[in-house]
Amino acid sequence: MVAALKQEETLNLAEDAVAFALKKGANEAEAYAYQGLTSNVVIERGQIAKSTRIIDRGIGIRVIVNKAVGFSYTNIVRSKTAIEDTILKALSSAKASKPDKDWASLPSNKSYASVKKTYDHTIVELHPEDLVKIASTMLDAAEKTDKRVFPIEGGAGTSYLSKAVANSNGITSFDHGTFIECSLATIAQQGGEVTPVCFEFNTERNYNLDPEWVGKEAARLAASALKARKTETKSTNVIFAQYAFQELLYYTLINALKADFVQRNQSAFKDKIGEKVASDIVTIYDDGLLDGGLRTWKSDGEGVPQQKTLIIEKGVLRNFIYDNYTAKKEGKKSTGNATRAGYLSTPNIEATNFHFMTGNKSPEELLNEVNEGLLVNYLQGAHSSNPASGEFSVVATPAWKIKDGKIAYATKGAMLAGNIFDMLKNVSAMANNERKIGQLVAPWIMVENVKVIGK
Amino acid sequence: MRDILSKVIDVAERFGAKYVEVRAQNLFKTMLTLKEGRVEAAKQGIENGAALRVLVKGAWGFASVGALDFETLNEGVLDACKMAKVASSRLKTPIKLVQAEPVEDKVRAKPRKNPSQISIEDKIKTTSALNNVILGYNSHVKSCTIDYLDLTGTSYFINNEGTYIEQDKLYVWSRITATASEADVFTFSREEIGSTSGYEVFDVETPEIVGEKVAKRAVEQLKAKPPKGGAFPVVLGSNVVGVFVHEAFGHLAEADLTLSGSILMDKLGNKIASDKVTIYDDGTITAAFGSFKYDDEGIPAQKTLLIKDGVVVGLMHNRETAHKLRAKPTGNARAEDFRVEPMIRMRNTFMEPKDYSFEELLEDIKKGYYFKSFRGGQANLDGTFQVGIQEACEIVNGELGEPIRNASISGNTLETLFKVDAVGKDFELSPGRCGKGQTAFVCDGGPHIRVKEVLVGGGA
Repeated sequence: MVAALKQEETLNLAEDAVAFALKKGANEAEAYAYQGLTSNVVIERGQIAKSTRIIDRGIGIRVIVNKAVGFSYTNIVRSKTAIEDTILKALSSAKASKPDKDWASLPSNKSYASVKKTYDHTIVELHPEDLVKIASTMLDAAEKTDKRVFPIEGGAGTSYLSKAVANSNGITSFDHGTFIECSLATIAQQGGEVTPVCFEFNTERNYNLDPEWVGKEAARLAASALKARKTETKSTNVIFAQYAFQELLYYTLINALKADFVQRNQSAFKDKIGEKVASDIVTIYDDGLLDGGLRTWKSDGEGVPQQKTLIIEKGVLRNFIYDNYTAKKEGKKSTGNATRAGYLSTPNIEATNFHFMTGNKSPEELLNEVNEGLLVNYLQGAHSSNPASGEFSVVATPAWKIKDGKIAYATKGAMLAGNIFDMLKNVSAMANNERKIGQLVAPWIMVENVKVIGK
Repeated sequence: MRDILSKVIDVAERFGAKYVEVRAQNLFKTMLTLKEGRVEAAKQGIENGAALRVLVKGAWGFASVGALDFETLNEGVLDACKMAKVASSRLKTPIKLVQAEPVEDKVRAKPRKNPSQISIEDKIKTTSALNNVILGYNSHVKSCTIDYLDLTGTSYFINNEGTYIEQDKLYVWSRITATASEADVFTFSREEIGSTSGYEVFDVETPEIVGEKVAKRAVEQLKAKPPKGGAFPVVLGSNVVGVFVHEAFGHLAEADLTLSGSILMDKLGNKIASDKVTIYDDGTITAAFGSFKYDDEGIPAQKTLLIKDGVVVGLMHNRETAHKLRAKPTGNARAEDFRVEPMIRMRNTFMEPKDYSFEELLEDIKKGYYFKSFRGGQANLDGTFQVGIQEACEIVNGELGEPIRNASISGNTLETLFKVDAVGKDFELSPGRCGKGQTAFVCDGGPHIRVKEVLVGGGA
């Protein structure tokens, strides 16, 4: 196996790049050295058919010359000449570019909080055979649950990521972390009917995975999506399961909270700090330090400490999320929300762990309180929402009709239409079944008066 | 390069691999992001690496490494072999590949304007001009984001069946988005440019033409109202037909998804659409964003007929699915880069034009909608599709009426294909990017069409 770069090697790579950039005429310089080692065992059409190992490492260099920003990256990290050529390219890019009058400076050195449950040595030590075992457990559990269910794809995987940031203002930061996950997508078939794809997964930072639950649940969902019926057009109560809610928020609410969108007049929240934007029961933190969070790291993509930021408090908008550039533009401090797509990109503002405070009802209690409504697990088309206005028009699939506090039947092709900002004001309950999905950490969320377009 | 790659093939064969392929790449990228004309960063990237894929005991093993020296490739291919062996332990049906003719070829890009020879200053000048047209359109336009990317490089493909292909890669792409607002109304508009010919694409898609289109749409939506939800007759513009053909039908006809249980399984040779519908996926259209000469399994790209006069006659294949379904490979196996494996992807997917003029399509509709331009779409294996709309208006008594905004359409693919009752004589292809875990550059399009009934959602 190709060996991982060690902490000192990764840090040296970044520090040497900064020094070379300064020597060659950069006013400021920053280097981001990244490596990702990923192993996967892949399920395709009902069987384990593949195994993959991907080693990706590289360095991205950002330089500033007369307030113009240049960036260059390479994955040829074993060659000093290649890295130096890359730095020269970043410099030539900056020189070709236009000065940015709002450029202030790169971030400076701060102390980092410690983070918990983000690295587990057991995961690094796992063998592909262990992943085969996890995938088989999941697959067997799915097959045992219901004969009408076909596991179409999924698998089990681990990854180890490490990143070092160094800049000319004294930042040197190194962090590494582990991930383990398993997932299964299923459909169910009966008498010519095919269900929409159902999906369940479990991702953790520590070796604490439940493949059996994933398999069972993926199968149960698909089986319960059979015998789908069309539903009528009306405004009704909707319980969003986490996956559906996450898709909707990613393209609407979260963008509206990014300082970049606010400063550029693309956010419906501009000038609304301190105003009521959601119902009383909505409290949200962006928590970059959450124990075991899927987006928990010591520092963000610019070497700024990650932090816990209050976003909405009992319905009142409190803060936006910032990177170094947008914060300095307003004379504020970065909230540590600069993320990067490995070494390939310059930093962008993104939420870390977008954490909704839970309520105290179990999901069953929440269901029991609904006379009539819809339980929505996934959405189709959330990415076609209007990011500026928050308006969406999506298909709920699969979704289930709730009648008299119980799941009555699966629905077919029901559309939901509305505006995320109106919807936040109509949130009427939160369950207590919190889970982590991508950047969202939330329970089931109930919203009143959502427009459903059926037949 | 060929000598090193041949040695790597030998290593895997000695391990016991029945099939071995190596795809080595050198890639160069230039990227720009402009926000209201401010160059956020001028970016350049250099990457190289190799994808190593083997079949051992009927299971796939895959490794990706970021270097091209023999030592690294040797370790990589052994990794891939060991991974395959582990995966084979629970195999029920061994994987087999359809026979393919060995190919030896060198494919060189011949751009009139090679993006790698154009200075960054020039690229900033072009994108800045585009920005100025948009922000200068009128005072309602509040923001403009322009992403620019060009990618050049070479892919070296070798397998243990005698195929060796060197193929240049060349892509020029840009996405332009603008927002407008007035009082509490926010609107959004986007357009993409994409070509495999060269930087000369900007001589046709000039900053003036594209900028005006993007800005005008954002501003005109300010006056638009939300649609009434429900089932209506509609006319779909080429751009929406393209995304419908791609999302609602195309993905179901990707043989990996068909085999996973898409509603097209067991439908081959059956009528699934009205007589008016003929659909192709074509990898051979000159300069189109989804074109290439060989796919990432070394199979020549071709023009693949998927639906002929309403009957589904073909699927899109890689060598594995072609073997499984006893079909010929179609050249649809594509990998985004050396970090990932090839998978079945579309190329340029379109509906064939027929004989209606735009006015004839409108004339019989008393109350319906004209959906001109899309903002994303998504389909499910059960045939449920959704297409978001960024530009639309009402149709009242056969004439275009008031603009509407934030609509989307949905339905079941097969039901909807049967409801296509008139097909226009115009034709247009639009470039785009398709996400299926990896990003692929594609085109889709067709003529204007009329659909008797689709479900229209939208409006708060």
